[in-house]
Order: sequence, then structure tokens, then C-alpha cells
Amino acid sequence: MDIPEAVDSEQQESSDDVSDQQQLSAPSEGTEGEVIIETRSLTKVYRDFWGRPKVRAVKALDMQVRRGEIFGLLGPNGSGKSTTIKLLLGLLFPTSGQALVFDKNSTDVSKNERIGYLPEESYLYKFLNAEETLDFYGRLFNMSAAQRRSRTQQLIDLVDLNWAKRRQLKEYSKGMTRRIGLAQALINDPELILLDEPTTGLDPIGTREMKDLIIKLRDQGKTVLMCSHLLADVQDVCDRIAILHQGELKELGRVDDLLTVQDITQIQARGLNPEAEEEIRQVIERHQGELVTMEHPTTTLEDLFLKIVRESDSASKAKLTEK
Amino acid sequence: MVVDPSEFITFNEWFPLAIWSYAKIVLLLLSAGLGICFAIAVVRHGPTEAIYIISRAVTGFFSRDGVLVSPRRVIALMQLAIKESLRRRVLVVFGVFVLVMLFAGWMLDVESENPARLYLGFVLTMSNYLVLALAMFLSAFSLPNDIKDRTIYTVATKPVRPLEIFWGRVLGFIVVGTILLVVMGVVSGIFVYRGLDHRHQVETTSVEFDSELKRHSGETGPAAYHRHDFFVDEETIIGGEIVGTTDPIVKEHRHQVTLKEDGSLQIGRPQGSLQARVPMYGKLFFRNREGQAEDVGLNVGKEWTYRSYIEGNTLSAAVWKFSGINESKFPEGLLLEMDIRVFRTSKGEIEAQIPGDIFLRNPNPKPDADPTRQACMPIPFQATEFAASEVFIGLDQLKFQDVSGQLKPLNLFKDLVDENGELEVWIRCRERAQFFGMAQADVYLKAQNNSFWMNFAKCHLGLWMQMVLVVLFGVFFSTFLTGIVALNATLATIVLGMFSGFLADVHSGEIAGGGPLESLFRNTTQQGVTTDLDVSEGTSAVMKTTDRIYLRAMMLISGHLPNYPEFNTIRKVAYGYDISNHIIARHTLITFGYFLVLSVMGYFVLRTREFAA
Repeated sequence: MDIPEAVDSEQQESSDDVSDQQQLSAPSEGTEGEVIIETRSLTKVYRDFWGRPKVRAVKALDMQVRRGEIFGLLGPNGSGKSTTIKLLLGLLFPTSGQALVFDKNSTDVSKNERIGYLPEESYLYKFLNAEETLDFYGRLFNMSAAQRRSRTQQLIDLVDLNWAKRRQLKEYSKGMTRRIGLAQALINDPELILLDEPTTGLDPIGTREMKDLIIKLRDQGKTVLMCSHLLADVQDVCDRIAILHQGELKELGRVDDLLTVQDITQIQARGLNPEAEEEIRQVIERHQGELVTMEHPTTTLEDLFLKIVRESDSASKAKLTEK
Repeated sequence: MVVDPSEFITFNEWFPLAIWSYAKIVLLLLSAGLGICFAIAVVRHGPTEAIYIISRAVTGFFSRDGVLVSPRRVIALMQLAIKESLRRRVLVVFGVFVLVMLFAGWMLDVESENPARLYLGFVLTMSNYLVLALAMFLSAFSLPNDIKDRTIYTVATKPVRPLEIFWGRVLGFIVVGTILLVVMGVVSGIFVYRGLDHRHQVETTSVEFDSELKRHSGETGPAAYHRHDFFVDEETIIGGEIVGTTDPIVKEHRHQVTLKEDGSLQIGRPQGSLQARVPMYGKLFFRNREGQAEDVGLNVGKEWTYRSYIEGNTLSAAVWKFSGINESKFPEGLLLEMDIRVFRTSKGEIEAQIPGDIFLRNPNPKPDADPTRQACMPIPFQATEFAASEVFIGLDQLKFQDVSGQLKPLNLFKDLVDENGELEVWIRCRERAQFFGMAQADVYLKAQNNSFWMNFAKCHLGLWMQMVLVVLFGVFFSTFLTGIVALNATLATIVLGMFSGFLADVHSGEIAGGGPLESLFRNTTQQGVTTDLDVSEGTSAVMKTTDRIYLRAMMLISGHLPNYPEFNTIRKVAYGYDISNHIIARHTLITFGYFLVLSVMGYFVLRTREFAA
């Protein structure tokens, strides 16, 4: 599934820039490349009606997100992930510190030209249908009628809602609403995509498709900032992550670096007989190592579910072909 | 009809004064807004940062947000507001309107002497209230609902500027209100036309022919709860047909009566019930019983001082100075329309009308002019109380008395109108111990009749501008208040705007009973409004001071809100008077002034508010 790019000259120009940038900076190089998002001692304090501090949602957050990477904001509920994204979008104003996007203050409206945002819930106008929704958001980007028409159709195809494009959003299921929400976030072919809990409400297939899509966006040179409390999702797609807890940054770095347990070696092999396994145990003991586990690996539940569904689909199709 | 004195001020006289007070209000708001924002910024970020923040906000408006508005985005948001309004069952309002129309016959007095006034007043007032209520509800709830449902997140994170959000909403609701108002206007027009339209048959048994005068006369049959007398002179031929008319005017209309070739009489549709008279008002001043000039006449003891009085059979006179009189405007003479009140100090014959005289006089005669030719001989008339009457002064009617006592013709335009086109019309009461009461609008020259339907449209334009103002206030309040609070705030502006005159009267003591606290106390303790308060001096002083402070504050606020009654021209249309273009121009400019101020205020509120807070 290829992600379509908007065809207007402005967007084309920005896409060209993106390809150049992609070549210049590899996504895997987390500490190199152009800084797209930067927070400097970013702090947000929610106040009550009388102006008294109520909740310190984000505390002196310092981080950078670079072009072409998938950056994950991770943390339990109430850790300040969504607040950080809202601060970056200008939906909230910092109490102190700075939030810079494309080197512009987050309250600067012009930065939104290059941003796509998928909120936690798809906050869309329920009385519009899918086509009207995308057309409306396309207009907000000053796209011409022809551009909007073509882009709308591309995105509806992408999120596989062609069959329901004339239905009002109030008739959509949660998963369908998420998909059209994603489509509106991509209407302007953005350079930076902010995804707030992108897999919420999606079934396993939808979740996998969403994750594949995020990776494809990154492969196209786009920068993705996502927040989630679903560790598996973050682990699967993110290049770098920041872990927040009670508004404070607890950990920041590359996912593989953070997840690699340096003092444990895991051994996996196929076709070993018990004698060979015993021999390996003895080798470890000889080198003063401690064998933690040596067992047959398991797949994830998600992978198993997908395998079953796909096999079931293939069997059904085969039966239909035989008939 | 009572006419507000402000209507006599022309647009050119009003404009400089209006611009000056507008500039003062804008400066006041600007200073107050900047001052408050600066104070908040100083508390939060310190003085240096505060200066930077304020200057950035102001320059941001003038360099980007105020000038880089995208029409496409505004139209997109406008269309969204329209769709949202339709979703909120805006058509229910039209349904209510049609329903009320269908059963209007149950509520209206079908035997009214002024059916046009009644019908027009009813339909226009209903349209006005419905559209204002609709505008209020739509505008006050839209943005707060977007914020509550968080749909604003997906809009505010696009390159949409605050002014575009504000204008998109405002324009959307204006379009909805406009469509509704146009449809209501068309339905109202049909309702009024059909309600007033009727045909009479000739009561054949009543028809008589006067062979000496060659006149057919008789009575019509009943229709719409009335009959007419009529006459047709065989010598009156218009357009190849012998035509006559019904006389006198019944229920504000006449019918043309046509004598057909076969000798039958046919009565046409009603004429004159729907009209738009164009009054040419003059400036009024008075002469006292010694003939000396005064600004006001006598007060006969009435509380309502709208009209002043002149004493009968003295040198007292009410004098109107008209300007712009020329032959092209009045080629056949002057048609004066008068609505003169009578105050009787002796009963006499109570049903008899009180006689008066009209004089025409040159206000600035040339130095070498013949003094006997500077005023005409009196033209007698009868004051028809509580109803307007017309007096036509034909050019050949004007006479003067020369030194030999002979009556000789006067030329209106050469002898009585001065070089500046000005003419004085004097009115005197002829009967001793009786008084004529007059206000500036009670006597005017009728230049022509304009199209009634154009006047009807102009009236709707006034209603439309009221709706625009309500939408502007509704959307403005909704930028920082929740829906229900914004609705109340909008309603408060309407109430304050509608009753600013009442507030001023309560404050000045013209309306007895005191302010809210005092009147509440009087109500609960059952004390009359004109008696002294039955409390200690201290309590009374506290009550009155509190009321005074409250009323001052209310007047200060209401003084800066739109004067909604000024925009309401329903009475003019209902009474058959043309709405002058200078009034429309004035209202348009006022509406535009509010549009600018509220747009800028709405921009800064949206710019400085956190949508996700």
C-alpha cells in the first residue's frame, strides 16, 4: 500500500526537500539530521479558576526530534504525553520554556502548513461524510478544488473507506473513524505527523496496518512523533523514544539501545538434540556464565492472530476458487 | 406616527459626530485591552517579556493574521457553520413561522380600521423576533460546542488563523439568517398582499345617476368587513375608460370604479393600503401668543412632552421651515400631510373639528420685495384628531391682499420660496381656548410615493442588520464563554440595547420608582412609586446610591451597545412611510463599525486562548 503524495506545487516542493533530506540523513542516525521539534525546559502547569497551580503536567522537558525519524512518547496515563503534543501543536501554551516546531514557536499558525495531526479520539464533524470531511480539511490548507478531489480519493483508497465514503461519520465504527482521522491528518502530505495514540480503537489488522503505514511514512522521509502507552506498538515502529512519568522525562534514546540487555545473551537454535543442549550448558558453566533460559521461542499473540486470520482467508479463497 | 428626533439628522450631519465617538470608543477599548493584557503578562512573565509578548501580538495582527486571511478557508468554515446550522434543525424556526401564519387569522382583528398596519406589524415583528432568537442560539453555542467536542483540535491545528475562525462562523450564521429572512420576507409579503386584497361587488339597488352632474353614485357590497360609497363622473376619462373612485377612504384604501360600455360598474382592487410615502420634513419652531420666536410651544400639562402646543386665536403659531423646494419637485402645488392633536379647554361641540389656518411665508425675502407679497392669505383646514389628513395647496390657490384690499395671485416659487429654496409653513389655531399640539414630524410635505415593496425590503434590511449584530455578539462571546453563558451575554446585550432609553429615564428620574433595589423594595412592601420611601434616611440613601451606581454602570455599557430599536423600522413600513436612504446608510455604517471592533476583539481572544485547556 503506497502512501499517496499531494500533487500541488507547494507540496511537491516540500516533498522534494524531504527526499533530499532523506538522502542526507538516515533515519537510523538519531542524533544527526535537521531538528524538526525541539523543546527547551518546556513546562506546563494547569491552573484552577483563580489561577492557582493545580497540576504540573510537564516539567522542564528537553528533547529533540530529527527529520526522518519515528519518535515515540511513552508513558502511563497522565504522564504528560498528550499535553506535550498539544503544546507542540499550539493547542496549549507553555507556562515556561519553549516548544519549537520547524524552528518556529509552537503558537505560530504558519507551522501547521507542514503538520498533520491525528488526535487521541478522531474529533471530526459527525454530520459530514468522508469525502466532505477531507474536502473541508483540504480547503483549510488552501488546496484547489482539483487537488482536493484527487487527494481525497487517494486517501479514501489508502484508508480503505471507498465503500463508506458517502456515509456520515456518525454512522462510522470507531476503527473507521480512526482511519478517516488518519486520512485528514495526511491531507496536506505533511512533513511532520503527530499521532496521539494512533492504534486506539483499531482491531489487530488495523493496528498492524497503522504501524506499517507509520513506517512507510518514515521511509518517505517524513518525521513522525507518536505517543502511546502500548509498549508493543512503540517498540515495533519507533526509532527513538522518550519515557515520561508524572510529567518528567525519565529516559530518552534509541529503542534498540534501550531494550538491549547488555549482560544477558539469549541463545536460540533449531534442530538441537538434548546432548547438544547439555554441551552448550557446560560451555556456559565453563566460562562462569549463568544460564537463565534455554527454551523454544514463542511468537507474539498479535502475530499468531494475524497468521490464523490470513490462513483462514486463504482457505476461504481457495474453496471459492475450487467451486 | 411618533418619529425619533435623531431621524431628522442627515447622514452628513451625523457622520463626523459618529466617527469621532467611534474613534474614542476604539481608543478606549484598545487602551483597556492592552493594559489588561500587559498587566497579566507582567504578572506571569515579568515586564521585559511582557513588552515583547504584547508587541509581538500587535505586530502579528497587522503583519500576518489581520492581512493574510484566506477567503477559501473562511468560505470552508462558513459552509461548515451552515451545515451545522441545518443539522441543528434550523428549519424548525421556519416551520414555527409558517404555523403561526396559518393561524394568524385567529389572533388578528379582522375588523381593524388599519388592516395594513396590523398585518405588517404582525408579520414583521414575528420575523424579527424569530430571526433574532435563531441568530442568538446559533451563534452562542457553535464555538463552545466545538471546543467541548474537541472538533476544534482538528481545525486549530491546520493553518487557520483566528480571524478566519471568527469570520467563518459569523458569515455562516449570517448566510443562514439571511436565507431564512428572505424566505420569511417572501411569505410575509404574500400573506400581507393576500390578506389585504379583496373585491367588492356593486350594490345595484343603491346606484343612482345624477343627470345634472352626470355622476353615478352608490354603495359597494360588503367585503373584508366593510363597504364603500363611490361615485363615477362620466366626464372623468382615464386611459379611454370612464373611471371614478370610492370615497371617503375606508380602512386606509380606495378602489377604482370603472363604468363599462355596457353600463355596468366594476370595482377594482384596493389602492393605497400599501404605500411608502416620502415625507419632506422641515425644522419646527414656535411663536408664542405675542408672536415672538420660541424653541418649544406651550406645555398643557401632559407628562409626555413629545408634542408642544399653540394657543388658539392668538399670535401663537407652529412654524416649519422646509428647504429644497423647487418647481420640479412640486410642479402642481404642495401636498401637506398633517397629524395634529387638539387639546380642548372648553367642551363646545365635542364632535366638531377645530379649525386652523395655514400660511406660506418667505423666510428671507429680498430687500426690495413687496412686503404684501411675502406671505399668502390664510388657507383654512380642520384638524382631524388622531388621524393624518392631507391638505393640497394648488399653485392657483395662493393669494395675497394688495394695499387696495384686493386678492391677487401669488407665485409660490418666485414670491414665497427664497433664493435658498426655503419656505416657511405657519399653522395657527383659530378657535379661542383650544390648543393645537404638534411635533416636528407631524407636518411634512409629501413629495412622492416610493415603491412599497422596496420599502418592505429596506425594512428587512434593518432586521438583517439587527441579526448581523446579534450574530457578531454571539460569536464574540462564544470565543471565551461556554454556550449557555454566551447565550445569556448575547441576550443581555439585546435587552440593554433595546432598553437603553428606559435605563436613561430611570436614571434621570423621569420614570418614578427608582432603580432595581428601590423598586424591588417598593414592590415587596407595597409602596407606591411616587411616595417617599418609608424607611430611615440612611437606608434610603444606601438604596438610592446603590441604584445610582448600578444604573450608571448599566448606562455606560448600554451606551456602547447597538441601539436595536433604531434599526427597527417596522413602524415606518406599517404606517406607510418610506425609510430614507440616509437612515439605511447610517445603520450600515454602525453595523460595519461593530463588525470591525468585534472581529478584532474576537481575534485577540482566540489568539490568546488555549483550545485544549
